[in-house]
Amino acid sequence: MQTATIQTAAPLLEVSDFSLHRGAAAVLDRVGLTLRPGETLGLIGESGAGKSTLAMAVIGLLREPEVGLSGSLRFHGEELTGLAEARYRKLRGNRIGLIFQDATAALNPCYTVGAQIAEPLRRHLGLSKWDARERAVELMTSVGIPEPRLRLNAYPHELSGGMQQRVMIAIALACNPELLLADEPTSALDVTIQAQIMELILERVRALNSSAIFVLHDLALGAQVCDRIAVMYAGQIVEEGPSAEVLARPLHPYTRGLKSCVVELGSEDLQPIPGQVPPLNAMPEGCRFAPRCPKAQDVCRRERPAPETRDGRQVACWFID
Amino acid sequence: MLGSAAAKLGQTLLVLLIVSVASFAFLKLAPGDPVSIMLGSDFSQGAYDQLVHDLGLDRPMAVQYWHWLAAFVKGDWGTSYITSQDIFELAVMQALPVTLTLAALSLLVALVIGIPAGVLAALHRNSWVDVAATALAIGGNAFPSFYLGIILIWVFGVGLGWFPTLGFVAPWEDFWQGLWHLVLPAITLGAWYVGLIARITRSSLLEVLGQPYIQAARARGEPGWRVVWVHGMRNVLMPLVTVIGLQLGGMLRGAVMTEVVFALPGLGMMVTTAVLNREYIVVQAGIMLTGLLFVVVNLAVDQTYQFLDPRLRRRT
Ligand SMILES: Nc1ncnc2c1ncn2[C@@H]1O[C@H](COP(=O)(O)OP(=O)(O)O)[C@@H](O)[C@H]1O
Ligand SMILES: [Mg+2]
Repeated sequence: MQTATIQTAAPLLEVSDFSLHRGAAAVLDRVGLTLRPGETLGLIGESGAGKSTLAMAVIGLLREPEVGLSGSLRFHGEELTGLAEARYRKLRGNRIGLIFQDATAALNPCYTVGAQIAEPLRRHLGLSKWDARERAVELMTSVGIPEPRLRLNAYPHELSGGMQQRVMIAIALACNPELLLADEPTSALDVTIQAQIMELILERVRALNSSAIFVLHDLALGAQVCDRIAVMYAGQIVEEGPSAEVLARPLHPYTRGLKSCVVELGSEDLQPIPGQVPPLNAMPEGCRFAPRCPKAQDVCRRERPAPETRDGRQVACWFID
Repeated sequence: MLGSAAAKLGQTLLVLLIVSVASFAFLKLAPGDPVSIMLGSDFSQGAYDQLVHDLGLDRPMAVQYWHWLAAFVKGDWGTSYITSQDIFELAVMQALPVTLTLAALSLLVALVIGIPAGVLAALHRNSWVDVAATALAIGGNAFPSFYLGIILIWVFGVGLGWFPTLGFVAPWEDFWQGLWHLVLPAITLGAWYVGLIARITRSSLLEVLGQPYIQAARARGEPGWRVVWVHGMRNVLMPLVTVIGLQLGGMLRGAVMTEVVFALPGLGMMVTTAVLNREYIVVQAGIMLTGLLFVVVNLAVDQTYQFLDPRLRRRT
């Protein structure tokens, strides 16, 4: 990846000061992110940090009146938060694709996989029934599904979990989206094929020259597959920057905690940092990480640190060393 | 798959056995002596014993049951003492089609009103639309069929004169006239089902719309109406068919009431008349036919369910 050109290109996705409220609780709190064309970003954080919520908000699936959005989400410079639904529909599945965590649950059990792959092709590209089928066969081949013509008429339950996820990838990439959102695309799969599916998604993203946001909870994996890393904690982005630098020299105590966990224990099941994420309705006033932070001072508990830019990285901490 | 099919067949046969034994026993236990009725008022003991022997009534019950069942299967159901009509002809050729037509039309009415009402209630959960649909559902269930039927007759038949109030014209002889006569009965019987269908549609759709595959459809840019009617309702069909099948007994009971209120010559009317006339042989035919109908429709529902759910469908 030529970092120089990426840095200067106009942003593909610009999230700034973006908050999402459910009732009084801020599930996402003043999130800021920039993704340039061709760039891949790893969104890392514990379960419940708001990673899926952010992905769903970007593709416009959290627009019910009871969900409060504020701040800005820009795609190619176009503001998405107030976008008309008809216009948003033309982006979904077409210019923005989404891969779900659990392909088994994300495929409609009553329709064949061929029908579900053909759907965005017919809707967004206006292909005829026949052309959509032919294109679906090509897509299935491209994601490594053997005997695609036969599988076209298979129902989801007739395929293995890995094959189902390949189908989801084919659907998400059917219209060559500029932005792919992959929400823990391998965590529901057998460990033996996780790497294989991850590799496939990366290969397809590169082949289509798309940008991608990978939601992951493994910092090391994120750093390995993505250009940039954003670490989320309790609805906030606490640190963001180039993968190699974030992994080699984490600036935020939470990132450091995540890293030491991976290095020392090598397992995501074990709790990396003592304590728990505070519940949404009882978020601390100041830094949301303060109650678990080994270095927390009075100021941390009193005031929320604003993200600070340092050497092309953003960190939200009062005590960056 | 084969195991469950065999179990289903065994279950069906068991139900048929119970129904047939029950109707046979019903005939045997019914008050009144068919032999003396057949002989009239004046007969000798010799003639009586002769007829008992000729009819096989002196043989063991099991043999009598077997003969009775064999005759039933052949369609030899006897003749009415009162009208001298062949009972098979009366029940199967005349009454059954009326009841089936009424039931089918009522189901159609219930689906056409109940499904949209349920969908609207689900999409506007906890709004006035939901409240109104729920009220409609409860109202439809709360009104006994005969009550609603009489009100409809008063208002739309007698009062406004829009629809005929009584009687039956076979739709297969005069389609429009037949339909015309069935409008009020079908609404009467269907109203009871509307509530059920609306409620099941609402709750199943709410559950389905929370599934990830619905979000996935939206994430592909599918418009709202397709998400609901194509991706959502396709998955609601299965619970809907199950519930319709389970409520079949209620439908048959409602049909009896509706036929009596509207004087439709269906199975319900046939059995009711026969009970009043103490013509137990006709009642027994009604029981058998209803039991058979029940079993056949249940099998059909089962097959439909298997066909609708790809996860149960056998690969051919
Ligand atoms: N549909 C919902 N209704 C209410 N709260 C939700 C809903 N979805 C997620 N949340 C809450 O939002 C927070 C973030 O969830 P999520 O985005 O799924 O986290 P992550 O993907 O990082 O594990 C969690 O506290 C979760 O309980
Ligand atoms: Mg998640």
